[in-house]
Amino acid sequence: MIELENVSKYFGDTRVLDGVTGKVNRGEIFAVIGPSGSGKSTLLRLIDLLDTPTGGTIRVDGTDIHTEHEKSLSVRRMMGMVFQKPAVFNATVAENIAVGLRFRGADKNKIDARIKEALDLVGLGGYGQRRARTLSGGEMQRVALARAMVIEPEILLLDEPTANLDPVSVAMIEDLVVRINRDLGTTIVFSTHDMYQGQRLAHRLGVLMNGVFAQVGTPREVFTLPASREVARFVGIENIVEGVVVSENGTSAVDAGGIRIRARSPFGAGEAICLCIRSEDIRIAPAIRGRRVFDGNILPGTVTSVVPRGPFSKVTVDCGFSLSSILSWKKVDDLNLREGREVVVSFSPESVHVVRRE
Amino acid sequence: MYEIVEGFLEAIRLIVTLDPNVMAIAVRSIIISLTATIIASLFAIPLGAAINFGTFPGRKSLINLIQTLYSLPTVIVGLLIFLLISRVGPFGFMRLLFTPTAMIIAQTVLIIPIMTGLTISALSGVDPVIRDTLRSLGATKLQFLTNVIKEARFAILATVAVGFGRAISEVGAAILVGGNIAAASFASSTRVLTTAISLETSMGNISQSIALGIVLLVIALGVNLAIAAVQHR
Amino acid sequence: MYRRTIFAVAAVMVALLFICGCTGTTTDQTPAEKQQLRIATTTSLYDTKLLDHLTPIFEEKYNAEVLIVSGGTGKAIEYGQRGDVDVLMVHDRAREDAFLADGYGVNRRVFAYNYFVVIGPESDPAGIKGMGPVQAFKTIYAAGESNTPGVTFISRGDASGTHSKEQAIWKAAGFNYSTDIQGNDWYQEAGTGMGATIAMTNEKQAYALSDIGTFLAYKGDVDLVALVDEGDALLNVYCAMQINPEKYPDTNIALAKEWTNFLISDEIQQEIASFGVAEYGQPLFYAAQNDWEKIGVTEAEVKDPVA
Repeated sequence: MIELENVSKYFGDTRVLDGVTGKVNRGEIFAVIGPSGSGKSTLLRLIDLLDTPTGGTIRVDGTDIHTEHEKSLSVRRMMGMVFQKPAVFNATVAENIAVGLRFRGADKNKIDARIKEALDLVGLGGYGQRRARTLSGGEMQRVALARAMVIEPEILLLDEPTANLDPVSVAMIEDLVVRINRDLGTTIVFSTHDMYQGQRLAHRLGVLMNGVFAQVGTPREVFTLPASREVARFVGIENIVEGVVVSENGTSAVDAGGIRIRARSPFGAGEAICLCIRSEDIRIAPAIRGRRVFDGNILPGTVTSVVPRGPFSKVTVDCGFSLSSILSWKKVDDLNLREGREVVVSFSPESVHVVRRE
Repeated sequence: MYEIVEGFLEAIRLIVTLDPNVMAIAVRSIIISLTATIIASLFAIPLGAAINFGTFPGRKSLINLIQTLYSLPTVIVGLLIFLLISRVGPFGFMRLLFTPTAMIIAQTVLIIPIMTGLTISALSGVDPVIRDTLRSLGATKLQFLTNVIKEARFAILATVAVGFGRAISEVGAAILVGGNIAAASFASSTRVLTTAISLETSMGNISQSIALGIVLLVIALGVNLAIAAVQHR
Repeated sequence: MYRRTIFAVAAVMVALLFICGCTGTTTDQTPAEKQQLRIATTTSLYDTKLLDHLTPIFEEKYNAEVLIVSGGTGKAIEYGQRGDVDVLMVHDRAREDAFLADGYGVNRRVFAYNYFVVIGPESDPAGIKGMGPVQAFKTIYAAGESNTPGVTFISRGDASGTHSKEQAIWKAAGFNYSTDIQGNDWYQEAGTGMGATIAMTNEKQAYALSDIGTFLAYKGDVDLVALVDEGDALLNVYCAMQINPEKYPDTNIALAKEWTNFLISDEIQQEIASFGVAEYGQPLFYAAQNDWEKIGVTEAEVKDPVA
């Protein structure tokens, strides 16, 4: 549906996009995730023909949209876009939603019917005659979504549609995105800096970092098998440990600052790598006095901090390098975990994801 | 002091009794300046839009030039129009000098720069997201322009009010090309509020001047209050 | 819906006003096919309201519309040279002669005269009361040069007929206007009409030369008196001239002739002679008809209708 080929965009000397390559399939929800300022908005604007790329090609249904100018309008009319900042025209809600249809010369009866449908869809039935400027941010954003949807776009582009909205509006819009995709088959590309939102909604993710897609894959792939240390950090893997592969016999052994860790890795001996371990996969047990622990991924250490995080606590242990685990409050109390306490930390080789260190 | 109080009371009387002379001058002022404002709008708003959304070399300088022309002295405009439409001037054959038409032309020329400039400001003040939204909804160039103007309508309305205010309150051009004529018929007369105030003061009719001054003030304030009321709805 | 209505009403109002504005600007043909006569006049004829008194009579008689632009004689002559008016009404013999000689005007007719007056404060710091005009100017000059307190002369300074007359009197008194008079501290040029100059003279309690008509019209409002009002040098003769049709063929030649003849007609000569008597107790203008010898013009210029 949408093919990006080596797309770049410079603003003066600033390289915002520097060779983005990827593909969005028809009928899927594709999330562009990445930290703030990584160029997500720019990429969406290029797709919607609101900006022109410095280099590279963007094809929609095979049409090179930035060179075939005579098709610009018809290509743009295939797409609807919602922007990060909720923006409504200074008119009634109904008039706002009608704009796209008016541009296409739809007749009045059709417009009225579609406005009603769209308002019901976004949960704003009966709001038609209100002044759009008097709505809340969340309501405005839903108007913006309805406004983009009434034109029945084949592609819906959402640029951080829920940033700065209240949680209820966020949930509502997320729900709408899923329903629109499921019920109407609309291809949806949205950007977000909230990786969990990407995970919740998207069939596939593209992680935009340093002007390129650092990784494209299903949420599961991206979250469990990040392609690089940066992606790992972005998707919330808190334990990233540097090491070197020392042997490879089924599960390879890794030397991390003198401590040997067993993990599954595709890399050969001598390669510099990073170990990525999710906090949730790390277990903590009381230290057993008098017994030395040599074996694999059971490491003795000392608790350095216990920090509450929501209904959990994040416990950090120094076992040569820092490792953090997420435990329930009850567990923390049971184990009597506090600063200075000696513990053993354990995790399975399968929960260790190894990426090359660059 | 006595003169001011006396003049003021007489002025109130002239206004309350709808003195036909004062009313005729006031209505004529409104018609002339309103016509000039409408014509100027027809030029200035599309021109402002073209400059705001256009990309052409010298755009910045052009905007600077327009802003400089805000302070175009009214007598200079008057002199220029006078030279153009006087019998021996290039448009002398049209016999426009000393007619309301001449005043409309002068006021139109006078307010086009400020209305163009303020239109540019009004349009560039439209939220960029609104502009992107219009384009993303598939607007053609024309649809885009008309909708941005529609979005900036209150600011443009204020622009129109400023133009009208400047037109109705200027005296230099009005007296040069109009001649301050009080003819028997309404349509041939070129006496407007400002020129009448100037004449009546020089003839010592202070109360008449004050009455006309109050009417001028009320019109100018009234227009702005009306615009403000619309904007705050 | 309510908003729509307001917009619709506003639109209709604007459209109506626009239409009014357009029709209001159609000056060439009013519905009654009224002809228009454009007159440039010196301010003294206008500010005294003499023309306001005469034009309705003319307009009714000839089914015409008279458009009057009032300015100094200099301005009126400028309009005449540019062909922007049909008739001039001025009071500056020397420049009238030049205007006629240059071929811009024809058919001069003298219709009224009166006298200039030297006005000043009751206290008369220079002491000119009762002098002849030339002697009075010499006295003001001397008082001004010796810095006598309170002695200031306000000149029209606007190339009007009154200004010309003032310059002529300075010349008669033996001064070179531009070198001896202009630029002195006691001599100020107002650059404006007669009424405004009188108002300024009143504010400063100074001396000035005024036509008697305007001064009488203002007299009630100012603390100034006529100190010098006799002497041939103060004679003030008003004439009407038609713009030369050979130079500007599309001026309203016929109506311009009618106007000139109207002014020298017996009926209007009487109107001129009696104008202002009721209000000021004395006439503002004298009819020229029978005093042509006294004011030094030919009989033809006051009596012969323009053919």
